[in-house]
Amino acid sequence: MESAVAPTNALTLAQVAASGILLGGVYALLAGGLNLIFGVMRVINLAHGELLMLGAYAALGLFVLWGVPPLLALALIMPLLFGLGLLLQRLLVSRVVRQPPLTSLLLMFGVSLLLTGAAQQAFTTNFRSVPYLSGSVDVAGLALSLPRLVAFGVAAVLSAAVYAYLRWSRWGKALRATAQNPDVALMCGIDVDRARLLAFGLGAALAGAAGTLASFIFTIFPEMGGTYMLKGFAVIVLGGLGSFGGAFAGAVLLGLFESFAAYATNAQAAEGVAYVLLFLVLLVKPSGLFGLREG
Amino acid sequence: MRWGVTAPVLLALGVLMLATLPLWGTGYVLSLLFLTFMYAAMASSWNLISGYTGYVSFGHAAFFGIGAYTSGILLTNKLAHVSAPWPVAVLVAGVVAALLALVLGYPALRLRGPYFAIAMLGLAEAVRVAVTLAEPLTGGGKGLSLPPALVDVPAYYAMGLLAMVAVALTHVVATSPVGLRLLSIREDEVAAEVVGVRTTLHKLVTFCVSASIAGIAGGLYAWKQSYIDPTTVFAAGLTVRAITMTMFGGQGTVWGPVIGAVVLTYTGEQLWARFPFLHTALFGGMIILILLFLPGGVIALLQERGWLPRSRRV
Repeated sequence: MESAVAPTNALTLAQVAASGILLGGVYALLAGGLNLIFGVMRVINLAHGELLMLGAYAALGLFVLWGVPPLLALALIMPLLFGLGLLLQRLLVSRVVRQPPLTSLLLMFGVSLLLTGAAQQAFTTNFRSVPYLSGSVDVAGLALSLPRLVAFGVAAVLSAAVYAYLRWSRWGKALRATAQNPDVALMCGIDVDRARLLAFGLGAALAGAAGTLASFIFTIFPEMGGTYMLKGFAVIVLGGLGSFGGAFAGAVLLGLFESFAAYATNAQAAEGVAYVLLFLVLLVKPSGLFGLREG
Repeated sequence: MRWGVTAPVLLALGVLMLATLPLWGTGYVLSLLFLTFMYAAMASSWNLISGYTGYVSFGHAAFFGIGAYTSGILLTNKLAHVSAPWPVAVLVAGVVAALLALVLGYPALRLRGPYFAIAMLGLAEAVRVAVTLAEPLTGGGKGLSLPPALVDVPAYYAMGLLAMVAVALTHVVATSPVGLRLLSIREDEVAAEVVGVRTTLHKLVTFCVSASIAGIAGGLYAWKQSYIDPTTVFAAGLTVRAITMTMFGGQGTVWGPVIGAVVLTYTGEQLWARFPFLHTALFGGMIILILLFLPGGVIALLQERGWLPRSRRV
């Protein structure tokens, strides 16, 4: 979020807008997973940012140890996080899914602390980054950062793939049915428990993908998850809880807001934008800007 | 009703022992108990809003922090030409924390449980950033140094008194109709509204009272430490400990937070000293285990065994 120093003109504003939109790509992946998990089982995954953190460290490790480029590492990290998601759902979340929402909230809070602490112990609290891709490309007179452009492209493709999967595939339909009404879905012969398992695995895999992309455009450290969880939540509140398509619009919107806030003031104030935005939208329209209505 | 006799006697003995402790205890014991009182107050404060109404406040450190900075600023002569006497500074800290709770809670408490929890997570962060940015008044990230004072013993008594007040207040709430209304909000808010409970009012008042306890605790902490900075007094770890301790003892009970504070303050200090990073993970693991295997905390366990009466007074 570098603030430009050039005088304000149309080109500068376009530049700021473009970098904001690019920022939105990773947010969209992150929020998409958060949204899927919330939609299907009404669990707010407070450990979602930590799943992203794990993905980022996995990408870092693969890159440093064996020189695996992050884009290739996706093929390994996503199944890995998918498996972790299945484990979390099977061992923990499935036990509290019928209890009041606050139980699962506190449970995932515990998981997030556990993962953060374990990462601090294992990886130390140093800031790290993956030196992968650099420089910028010139698109229609705008200088776009190459790593962010690539990250946005991958995020867009993955989001589209998941959207298509949810829209047209058999299990995608089962997931959406479970999200709408688990009891009716069960009566229609859908294996609801399996749908929940799939949703958590898929959500975790998306968080892992977001982490892999974040590894070469942002800084990696054990406590990074908290900020991303809040941003992810801001995105789905903007886009509408449970609406997967809305999340992409919300993510781009948040990216734009942050980018312009960083341009107008400074990076620290831009960090606050997500929180303020989150709060205002929750108050004014709890169902989100693009959401249908509250579940 | 054996407990009707034994409980007050035990309580009186405990208070007597703690009251005379500065005469015979070592400095280490004194500061350890200061922390225990502080966490008992913080956990009771969290328990009031979150344990009774079910509205999880993930940002309770914000009230501790704002209290610490209020009393810190008043104790230095940053605002007026003279520094305020400490009881004034500490009480104002409680009032400011309650006002912050009013401003945040008035809109936020209209949100349903999980949304409130997330909103608080963001708001606490926003308060910390705001305090850090208000550099002329707060010293920013460098922190704020107060006039040095050797106040270990008075601070011990003051924090002990605060913890007692917090427990007494919880007792009053728990045994009154107000407590029942708060519990009804936790169990089914819509139903509570339907039978005529003014839910928003109850939540808001409870939130303000809860915040003022945390604010006073922060104020006393600043007075004793004579140095505060945003990362210490707004530490997420404060909220984490308050939550873990309350859940360990039993949320929505009078003595649960105290049991949690007594058991976990010392263990927490030891863990923190030996495993500076792993202790976060251990607190997280503890929350998970309690939720899965002991959702009612120690109190519920003792009640099941018949060692404690099943009463809202416990």
